[in-house]
Amino acid sequence: MKHIEVKDVSFRYDENSPAVENVSFSIEKGSYTTIIGHNGSGKSTIAKLLIGLLEKEKGEILIDGLPLNLENLMTIRSKMGIVFQNPDNQFIGATVRDDIAFGLENHCVPTEKMDAIIEEYAQKVNMQNFMEHEPTKLSGGQKQRVAIAGVLAMAPEILIFDESTSMLDPQGRDEINRVIRQLHAETEMTLISISHDMEEVTKSDYVIVMDQGHVMMAGKPEEVLLEQDKLVQLKLDAPFSVKLQNELQHLGIHVEKSTNLEGMVEELCQLL
Amino acid sequence: MPITLENLQHVYAANTPFSYAALNGVDLKITEGKITAIIGATGSGKSTLVQHLNALLLPTGGKLTILDRTITAEEKPQHLKSLRKQVGLVFQFPEYQLFEETVLKDVAFGPKNFGATEQEANHRAQEALKRVGLDASYFEKSPLDLSGGQKRRVAIAGILAMEPEVLVLDEPTAGLDPQGAQQMMALFCRFNREQKKTVLIVTHDMEHVLNYCDEVVVMKDGKLFTHQKVTDFFQELSLLKELNILPPAVVRMREMLNEKGFHIPSSTLTLSALAKEIRNEVKHHG
Repeated sequence: MKHIEVKDVSFRYDENSPAVENVSFSIEKGSYTTIIGHNGSGKSTIAKLLIGLLEKEKGEILIDGLPLNLENLMTIRSKMGIVFQNPDNQFIGATVRDDIAFGLENHCVPTEKMDAIIEEYAQKVNMQNFMEHEPTKLSGGQKQRVAIAGVLAMAPEILIFDESTSMLDPQGRDEINRVIRQLHAETEMTLISISHDMEEVTKSDYVIVMDQGHVMMAGKPEEVLLEQDKLVQLKLDAPFSVKLQNELQHLGIHVEKSTNLEGMVEELCQLL
Repeated sequence: MPITLENLQHVYAANTPFSYAALNGVDLKITEGKITAIIGATGSGKSTLVQHLNALLLPTGGKLTILDRTITAEEKPQHLKSLRKQVGLVFQFPEYQLFEETVLKDVAFGPKNFGATEQEANHRAQEALKRVGLDASYFEKSPLDLSGGQKRRVAIAGILAMEPEVLVLDEPTAGLDPQGAQQMMALFCRFNREQKKTVLIVTHDMEHVLNYCDEVVVMKDGKLFTHQKVTDFFQELSLLKELNILPPAVVRMREMLNEKGFHIPSSTLTLSALAKEIRNEVKHHG
């Protein structure tokens, strides 16, 4: 079932340059989609259009079959959660606890249930020891963890991550991505992640590649990521295994392409 | 003159219940004219360390020598302004600090603040903007209208325009797309190679450490864990495992292949070298 349908949507911040132009795609319920593209390609604009933070100039966006318009906005928003890259833009509470509670209060979660939920999600992102800290005084990575906990606690049907782990170190990013993938596996949640992390892309079901406000490529990661020349043209990078395959090709050695190192090792072992 | 740290210590909020020792006696000599990567887990003291280099933080113990200046816990340093001009420090996500009406004004702010004339400051700003890849069409734009990657370039141009002797960057490529990140690293490389200036880069990206840096400093729990040449550091895998660092893809690939019966030398650190080694082995077997 289609959870999100974007049909021929355009948007511009100023007269001359469209940020997003005639974009169409659809996202299946419960799927995990990554959106990649260079800085300024229109990825974040798409995210903001999807939650109705920006209003499309033309086209149609359907969420759960409902057209995204002023009338349906609140119904649709209550199903969605978004975490932005800069968590400073999204803190409300004076303490980490208050901040995670804020969304729950808005969703009218009864107080007696709230504490347990707050504890659970703080623990999931490993911030349970910072409950009484002021969010603005935490490090960048810690702030991102709190912002993620606040959104996860609301158990949204659609969760959008806009480069939400960019300030974490590789271990921290792995840890958060695992938590999110686990939640995604356990629930019916539809997950959309805007990312530059190619490792993450290989783990998603579907990938959309943007450039200058257009969808340039879309499909399964194991198809899209094999196109090294196209990716480089779009100012992205191919996985190491694909680059190695091309390099070997130049040296006269032919192996099947693979999007991950493990697959490549298997291919190469057959040549031994 | 190398940058020397002797038993450098930093305790945040000393004598309070929140007292926290971020640096526990660091001894380190940063080689002049090289690009040094500073790596380590979150909270290992990387950012605290680099903030001492322009005296933004002062040591609570030990001694720092940089550009003929000595900073100790006992002696309050003088003439901080000239040190801050000579040591350009770029914070994480510096684009959040842009504030002027136009790109050119923002970049010219630093030199002007350090005493350059309006004309001179504008000239240096233009040069710095060109160096980061922003041509004249950007000069009169508002920084707020630029994309994230472009804002980052403006912020870095602001530091370059001050013509620092030492450039210190705290995670300069976080949040940039892969090519944007590579261009940024190439820019720091040029700054280092052409002007023979010392560059320090705090990073989590091992691909960047391998491809662009000369030396690597590993911090752990507020102490120096190791200081090595990059080419040596990625040969010894046990150390990387102990530090829980995911090696660069070329090193991972090399190790995985060797586990399956290849014999690729541990000095193999580039894609093309790896491809050639694989070819030799395949041919050898064939």
